[in-house]
Amino acid sequence: MSPLSDNLELLTPEFALTGLAFLVFALDLFLPEGKKRLLAFVSIFGLIALVVVSLVMLWDEEESLYNGLLAVDAFALFFKVFFLGMGIAIILMSMDFVETRLKHQGEFYGLLLFSILGMNVMAQSRELLTAYIALELLTFSLYVLAAYAKDSDKSNESALKYIIVGAVSSAILLYGVSMVYSTLGVTKFDDIAIGLAQATNVSPALWVGVGLILVGLMFKISAVPFHMWAPDVYEGAPYPVTAYLAIGSKAAAFALILRFVLEGFVPAAERWEQWQLVFAVLATVTMLVGNLVALAQKNLKRLLAYSSIGHAGFLLAGITVLSATSDLPSNGVMFYLVGYSITNLVVFAALISFFNMTGKEEITDLGGLADHQPFLAACLGMGLFSLAGLPIFAGFTMKFYLFTAVANEGFLWLAGVAIFSSLIGLYYYLNVLRQIYIEPTPTGDNGGDWLEENPMLAERPSWSLITVLASGAAAMIWLGVYPKPLIDAIEAASRALMP
Amino acid sequence: MVDLVWFQLLSAVLFVIGLYGVMSRRSAVLIVMSIELMLNAVNINLIAAASHMEGTGKFSNFDGQLIAIFIITVAAAEVGLALAVILRMYRNKSTVNVDEINLMKW
Repeated sequence: MSPLSDNLELLTPEFALTGLAFLVFALDLFLPEGKKRLLAFVSIFGLIALVVVSLVMLWDEEESLYNGLLAVDAFALFFKVFFLGMGIAIILMSMDFVETRLKHQGEFYGLLLFSILGMNVMAQSRELLTAYIALELLTFSLYVLAAYAKDSDKSNESALKYIIVGAVSSAILLYGVSMVYSTLGVTKFDDIAIGLAQATNVSPALWVGVGLILVGLMFKISAVPFHMWAPDVYEGAPYPVTAYLAIGSKAAAFALILRFVLEGFVPAAERWEQWQLVFAVLATVTMLVGNLVALAQKNLKRLLAYSSIGHAGFLLAGITVLSATSDLPSNGVMFYLVGYSITNLVVFAALISFFNMTGKEEITDLGGLADHQPFLAACLGMGLFSLAGLPIFAGFTMKFYLFTAVANEGFLWLAGVAIFSSLIGLYYYLNVLRQIYIEPTPTGDNGGDWLEENPMLAERPSWSLITVLASGAAAMIWLGVYPKPLIDAIEAASRALMP
Repeated sequence: MVDLVWFQLLSAVLFVIGLYGVMSRRSAVLIVMSIELMLNAVNINLIAAASHMEGTGKFSNFDGQLIAIFIITVAAAEVGLALAVILRMYRNKSTVNVDEINLMKW
């Protein structure tokens, strides 16, 4: 047993991120109103510095901290850099929105940083309690962020729904933890795998425990039938927070699930084969329901909520086929997460920019966007193509890679369902595109001219949003054409998890 | 010593009562109380398991009690947040009845 204080310096990025968050909170007290934009820059530069520090300090490290509670390995490093980079993009995207539409800007960035800390620890944790605390750090920050538009009824409602469903799901997850603990007496992932493999006659209590832990996690990634909260929360939350929910919290939950399944389930091969069927059914239902219900949506945020449910289904299909012998499925899931996040960043950046100009969020409001804002329209169009999975964008390579892995592991029917549901997805993504490029400009609310009622539409999007849009679109095409460098990094990451 | 299974039964019953409360209550505050009940059911389960396993050789750790303490702390923070949101709701809409909080559906 190693003393608890060994190798503490490996957690430097986490300590520094905590410090950065407190620094932002403290600076907020002293900055006069109107200068709060500085806080966003402090956060962005802090995050960039942290990316560099993590890469320099933790490259090629393979350590277990606190007697096996936290892992410092290539997998954790990969997700750390991913989450920090995503945080930078989200802050860039929210700057204008926060400045014009929200009060108390300093806390917004502080909470965002705390939630990134939670995500980082989630990707590192190898023990149920640690994972739970990290998960709660993330979701508590998100509860507050969802409620951030204090005077908006919709924001209140979304926060209330989120907090109730979130609290119930973590209670379910904890009950699962307590059942696993009372039968096996352990909470570390690898000990759970040993316990599962050794028990010749697995007691029902253990089944219930593991099942409830999974139910709790399925709530967090909004898999059907635990998805009902997602569309409401997404619609009501402020726009940047919706983007953050769709990208960040989902990616973090999948990072945790990947580690939990690969370290806690897959080594117990016999049991994992039984659970694979459960995952396969969940994945099928999630893909189909997410994509089918999205067909009927009129609100852009709700459409993206259902689309993110559908994508969670694809990712679950990847989780289903995780195995001890091949790293193809885990590579596929990670690649999908990166591609999906970048694509969604582009789509949301374009929609936030549109919302900043008009304050509208219905699909029909997008009519004629290509005439007023060609750049926004082009980026949004590329993002939608990528979400639908069309070639030369990240969406195609990520789906190709993941579905190949699914089919390779013998789940041909699951790959078939996945391809069928992405065909359904094509319809509603292209429907939005039709709205942008073909439909005429709608008449204004007061019957006047659309452009006169929304004069901002004639102006250029702000530089921060253009930065995100341009770099996101470039990354999307790069990943669609030449994904090799990223795949190399992902392979190194998933080797760290392979038994 | 009372058998472990009775504690587990108690905890399961409390958990289910809490879940029922979440689904059937109309007032947001009472829903939050029901969630607390669920979390405390978890605590009973953990502490009973930890103290029963003590000395059997198989389980020589205090993880159960530790997790329970963490859960109590987190639950307190959770209630704080939930009540703040409910308060906001009451200021804006003068109601905490969840049936009337129905701006967004489907």
